[in-house]
Amino acid sequence: MAVISQPTTVDKAAPAPAARRRRRKGPSRFTPGIAGSYVLVLIYAVTLVLPLYWLFISAFKSQLDAVDAPFSPTFSSGFDNIRDVWRLLDMGDAMLSSLYITAASLAVTLVAAVPAAYALARSQGRIATVFERIYALGFLIPGFAALVPTLLLAIKIDMFHTQEFMILYLPASAQPLAVILLTQFMRTVPQELEESATIDGAGRFRVLRSVYLPLTIPGIATITILNFISFWNDYLYTLVIVGANPHLRTVQVALPTLQGNQGITDYALVCAGTLISVLPVFVVYAVLNRRMENALVQGALKG
Amino acid sequence: MTAILDTPVVARAGGGRKRARRRDRGLILFALPSLVWYLIFTIGPLGAMFVVAFMDWAGLAAPASFNGMENVDRLLHDDRILTASKNTAVHLFVSLPVIMVGAFMLGYFLNLKLPGHRILRVIMFVPALISLSAMGMLFVAVLGPTGLVNSALDQVGLGDHATAWLADPTWAMPSLILVTIWSGLGFTGILFAARLSAIDGEIYAAAELDGANHWQKMWRVAYPICRDYFGVLTMLQYLWTLFGSAGMVLLLTRGGPGESTSTLSWLVYRFGFRSPEVGYSQTIGLVLFVLGIVGLVIIRRVFRARY
Repeated sequence: MAVISQPTTVDKAAPAPAARRRRRKGPSRFTPGIAGSYVLVLIYAVTLVLPLYWLFISAFKSQLDAVDAPFSPTFSSGFDNIRDVWRLLDMGDAMLSSLYITAASLAVTLVAAVPAAYALARSQGRIATVFERIYALGFLIPGFAALVPTLLLAIKIDMFHTQEFMILYLPASAQPLAVILLTQFMRTVPQELEESATIDGAGRFRVLRSVYLPLTIPGIATITILNFISFWNDYLYTLVIVGANPHLRTVQVALPTLQGNQGITDYALVCAGTLISVLPVFVVYAVLNRRMENALVQGALKG
Repeated sequence: MTAILDTPVVARAGGGRKRARRRDRGLILFALPSLVWYLIFTIGPLGAMFVVAFMDWAGLAAPASFNGMENVDRLLHDDRILTASKNTAVHLFVSLPVIMVGAFMLGYFLNLKLPGHRILRVIMFVPALISLSAMGMLFVAVLGPTGLVNSALDQVGLGDHATAWLADPTWAMPSLILVTIWSGLGFTGILFAARLSAIDGEIYAAAELDGANHWQKMWRVAYPICRDYFGVLTMLQYLWTLFGSAGMVLLLTRGGPGESTSTLSWLVYRFGFRSPEVGYSQTIGLVLFVLGIVGLVIIRRVFRARY
């Protein structure tokens, strides 16, 4: 599948397309059709940006202002909403819970996936092919399908309402993508390196640690970014398994509790809460920009 | 899917190859923890679904017993299921074509690398970064009685048309569909852009010599080349919409008002957790599963290469 491109370090690849782009650009590209499409794309872009802009400015204004002047950044209530919603939702605890589940799950994912990818990249037997097929099938199983039975499993092994069950579940659900992507990266490592290390007396684990691991850092970065987004953002599984206990729940579970049975009453609070919840991912996106975009495109198979 | 599975076969001299084989035998053990773990948590629960679907199980704490085909029988005569099936069909048949065709065109457009395409690309990533719960809360606020949409209508003097979009029986379903399209279009467009950028520019140049315009280049040149990819993304989007609607429905409307946004996926959640009848919930889950497979087969047929 074409999405899984060869691993390239972003810094090296970045200048090349820019140069090509400039050369290919011809004159008179704006036919009426293109101009019309441009307008349509811009309209869609506005529908993507405007709600976020509105969310951002509403988080810093009073409820009254939000109705009277919905589109102007009045900043009339300063950080009051943020402070209120932080206290109301126990955001501090929720952030720590999210961080704990995400970081631990990321570590476990890699510990399981790296040796597996090494094995699949270097084995030539039939078993390896079968294993790879099984992982590939995993892309076609939507996570939601197994929600209720997974909960039953959590009850059965006495881990209902624990964060630790998520740390078992999330890495398991991430295996297909992690293993298949890492296998792609590991196949690019020249076999001769491994052979010479073996001749020098290095065992399997030593080869994996000293030869493969350093050379697949870009792949590991891709997996980490992708899983950071999907673990941090997980909602339904965390909701039904960890539950709404304020000491255990994650940011994603805490946020929708702002909505009572009668819908929402305080828009400013909701906007402030939502802003807090999306901020970590956006900050990481701002820092890693290109790398994150490449990771998301490479991981597109995730269903 | 075959492309990722083809292992490059490294040819080696006879003796060396045999030795390598022997050495490789233990290697596959490295993959076992990952695979077993994955199977326990994914295939295991999925298998359990087939058992639970034929049980009478009032709640998670209640005792369970097999009741044969009773759940299936009930399902066939349940008006709720009928409504949900219709809603699911509407949800799918509107959002899926719009997302796939729109995203392909968007991808082609982004790939023209017109001025501003870089910033547009960044914007298109937004839905891929926002969590389901944040997206839900965002749209609850945007579409609420005094939310963004109604404020905007008010500002341009169309305040009479303002309504509580998610609580309005006429508008709830269209709102859900629009949110689905909103969240699916941009990122799928980016994926198409990545695929289309792999097409050799000379192919387009040749088409241009023959007098092809953008529309023809898009559907007569680019589309046949990416048909397989189009098919795979359609499958994924189909599965995601079919199974995944429960989360958005839970956050936006909880199936209401009345039953107007109740999808099959939502019913699985509803009977699983809100008014627990775990067995029945999984019977509906089984229906989803069958619909998923049937849909995949149909999509595969439609996009099968015909050259």
